[in-house]
Amino acid sequence: MHIDKRRLYHLDWFLILNGLALLAVGMVNLISATRSIESGPYNLLLKQVVALFLGIAVLFLILSYDYRVIAGYAKYFYILTLFFIVFVLIVGTIAGGAKRWLSIAGIAFQPSELMKPVMVLLLANMLHQRKREHEPLNLKDILLPLLYVLVPCVLILKQPDLGTAVVLLLSSFCMLWFVGLTKLTYLFIGLLGCFSVPVLWRFLMKPYQKMRILSLVNPDLDPSGYGYHSIQAKIAVGSGGLLGKGYLNGTQHKLHFIPEHHTDFIFTVFGEEWGFIGSVVLFLLFMSFIHRCLKTSRHTTEPLGSTITFGVASIIFIQFTINILMAINLAPVVGIPLPFISYGGSSLISTLIGIGLLLNVNMRRYMF
Amino acid sequence: MQQQSDATVREKKYKWCERILVLTVIILVMRLFDLQILQGEEMRKLSEQNRVRIKKILAPRGTMFDRTGKVLADTRPSFNLYIVPEDIKDFNQTVDGLAQLLDLDREDLIERLKDARDLPPSFPVKVQSDMSMDQVAKVEANKFYLPGVVIQIEPKRNYAYGPMLSHALGYVSEISPEELKTPEYQRYSIGDAIGKFGLERMYEKYLRGVDGEKRVEVDASGKEVRTLDIKEPVSGHSLYLNIDLEVQETVDKALEGRQGGAVVSDPRTGAILALVSHPAFDPNQLTSGSREYWQKIAIDPSHPLQNRVTQGRFPPGSTFKPLVALAALEKGVINENTSFLCGGHFAFGSHVFKCWQKRGHGSVSLHRGIVQSCDVFFYNVGLKVGVDSIHTMAQTIGITKPTGIDLPGEKSGLVPSTEWKKRTTGEKWYEGETVSVAIGQGAVWLTPMGLMQLASFMGNEGVTFKPQIVNRIVSPRGKVVKVFEPVMAADAKLNKGHITLVKEGMKGVVNEPGGTAYSTAHVQNVSMSGKTGSAQSGTGGADHAWFIAFAPSDTPSVSMAILVEHGMHGASAAAPIAKTVAEVMFKDEKEIKSVREGSPPEKSTDTRLPGVPNRVAVQ
Repeated sequence: MHIDKRRLYHLDWFLILNGLALLAVGMVNLISATRSIESGPYNLLLKQVVALFLGIAVLFLILSYDYRVIAGYAKYFYILTLFFIVFVLIVGTIAGGAKRWLSIAGIAFQPSELMKPVMVLLLANMLHQRKREHEPLNLKDILLPLLYVLVPCVLILKQPDLGTAVVLLLSSFCMLWFVGLTKLTYLFIGLLGCFSVPVLWRFLMKPYQKMRILSLVNPDLDPSGYGYHSIQAKIAVGSGGLLGKGYLNGTQHKLHFIPEHHTDFIFTVFGEEWGFIGSVVLFLLFMSFIHRCLKTSRHTTEPLGSTITFGVASIIFIQFTINILMAINLAPVVGIPLPFISYGGSSLISTLIGIGLLLNVNMRRYMF
Repeated sequence: MQQQSDATVREKKYKWCERILVLTVIILVMRLFDLQILQGEEMRKLSEQNRVRIKKILAPRGTMFDRTGKVLADTRPSFNLYIVPEDIKDFNQTVDGLAQLLDLDREDLIERLKDARDLPPSFPVKVQSDMSMDQVAKVEANKFYLPGVVIQIEPKRNYAYGPMLSHALGYVSEISPEELKTPEYQRYSIGDAIGKFGLERMYEKYLRGVDGEKRVEVDASGKEVRTLDIKEPVSGHSLYLNIDLEVQETVDKALEGRQGGAVVSDPRTGAILALVSHPAFDPNQLTSGSREYWQKIAIDPSHPLQNRVTQGRFPPGSTFKPLVALAALEKGVINENTSFLCGGHFAFGSHVFKCWQKRGHGSVSLHRGIVQSCDVFFYNVGLKVGVDSIHTMAQTIGITKPTGIDLPGEKSGLVPSTEWKKRTTGEKWYEGETVSVAIGQGAVWLTPMGLMQLASFMGNEGVTFKPQIVNRIVSPRGKVVKVFEPVMAADAKLNKGHITLVKEGMKGVVNEPGGTAYSTAHVQNVSMSGKTGSAQSGTGGADHAWFIAFAPSDTPSVSMAILVEHGMHGASAAAPIAKTVAEVMFKDEKEIKSVREGSPPEKSTDTRLPGVPNRVAVQ
């Protein structure tokens, strides 16, 4: 592994510091969130730290190769990841258990998480192969890429993991929009979306997923069942008030009123303990990070790199927004982690791969 | 040109991204402001409600002692079964499981939960009191399958002597939803035990302590995590009663197997020494909340829940005669020399009134009229004195209104008057009715409590005290909170000679051969005075047997009224009970060989009428 020292000079250190700050907030918050977990709080923390180092190692690995070289292998990464997704689906169906994790030597890994950066890489690559200068992409251009997107989405929905599928779809559309489509193509995608919603509702979505959406509209529909999660999350965040209950003093998560408080509902822990001021600071950290990502994309003149960085920024933005909306009861309960903050090794590594690609583009932006 | 356009398009897209970012932050911060600042207090309250549960620690009820310090009612630990609705995971699993396990009525269980639906779901709802050890073991063993079911150890009322004191002490049981709505029970909550009857009800506010509180932190499954703070409960005040357990036991035993009531008091203070009503009920079973038992006694035709002493009104029969005699003497229509001829019957208008002695008493004086309870003598006296004077005397004695005993629901007696008849029926009074009233029949209805006061009035020569069961109230720390001093109820200015005449007559009833109770109530070691009564029950069936008495005859320290429903003759059914009471109460006194041989006491000799035997001072 070799990284040219001159390239390091071009790295966006502000972005790196911003990311490290988010990681630090995540770790500190996770200490509080995992204290009440019976299976041993340090067990989970240790796993997260291991995942962090693993992620940073992968990040450096990515930095040492030119992103264009990496993008060239995108199809192989895609096939490999897709294979894992199909594999867990089959193994899961046979075992009748969870169909999201792949367990290798006792380490559980969620291949659908890996699909997020892989999809960015693949889509950016495919779209730029098809992109003609000064011309938006037409329908014919995007049919194959669309198929590549939809296949893993349907498989992930089958797991069932609505959250990851939504993130994949939305970030793919962001990238399509970024590269630019003809008006007719937008219309086609719009119509496709409209028609697929009832089909999804009818055939693909599980009853509990439907209930989650219905209980968002009316949480009193089933306050002890599906509404419970949203109501308790709202109470947790709201009870934080202006200044919060103080670090380690959150009662809602400590007394197990919020399921999944250390993963998808991590913001309830933060909001309860740090209050309005702390939460606004956290939002600003995220926003400045995403803004910095967009800035990288903007300052990269090479179109492939620009698209890749835009894709990474969109994934972080989409996950952040939906996750917070869910915690404050403005979006239905779907399994989407909060990048940097939620517990979960796969998610952390996936995010760090994204950052790796971003920095890769960032340090090589003056090569042309 | 086109190149530039591509770049401008991208620039525009970045601009849009920036706008979306700003918009997103604005939306999120606004929502956060709404939740954390505007609704913050509310949400904090909700999170506290989630986390903190207030558990009531029931205060033990005050103890009740008899006059010698024997414990009559105390508290013991018991196991009560509760359901916390919030912790129920599957309603049917918990409710059906519990109903099956303990063989409870499922509908009843649901009813109890429904009654509590207005309360916060974390509030435990009591579904069974005083579980057996067997039931406790069953629930504990199946606890895992019954989420929301809790057993709590709480103090339970315990009546050491069961039914023996049931009408005096009363019982406690769960407050009903109707009672909860009344202002009297404003500060109570569902599931609280309240005094429902007797002293328990009368002295509820003293007996009930102050419940404590334990604030605990619970997790989402309702499991206690830690105790935040505890406010210890304060026991209720104790009652020291005038009841003498030994006397109570004697009377209770004497009335065993019969219907009736008896009350024994100290006429010098109004202190109630014994109060028995039969049939009785088991207060322990009622306190345990046994619905079966409740239903059983509620439909029992002999009305075990009625306190016959204070709530049962009966015709007094001949026990009313001393009152009529005194009224006539005071009015001056008769004197000690008045006599009437009794031929066994008395014709008035077209009606013939009979004397209980078919062959007649011959010429009857006032003394013999009382001693032998001659009906014809009193028919004549009654007509002479008139119903209104009889009514006035009853008012003077204080038996036309409740005596004021410290028990709830006391009924007043009824002694008619011309005005009363006019008012209630609109008709005028007929002289023939006076004839019936003169022997305690007709429209005369009195409670045993009222007749006991009549006996006291005669014994005390015109003075009565308000009957009181409770002597004093003592706080758990031993401080005397309240002492019930004797309260004078009647203080009549009577002609000493007149009252003495009546008293001598009543003394003769028990102590003179030929007196109606001589053979059945004469006691060796005390001179007792009394009056028998056999009253037509008015409801068919055998006559009610009465006996009222006081002893010692001159300065009585005990007075009583005994009723045996359908006991036929006062002399044979009721008087022996008075005898046993007197024997128990005066067992330490010296035996009196002959009543007539004593030396006359100095004090009252001058007021004695000639020819009337002097009393013997026994104390």
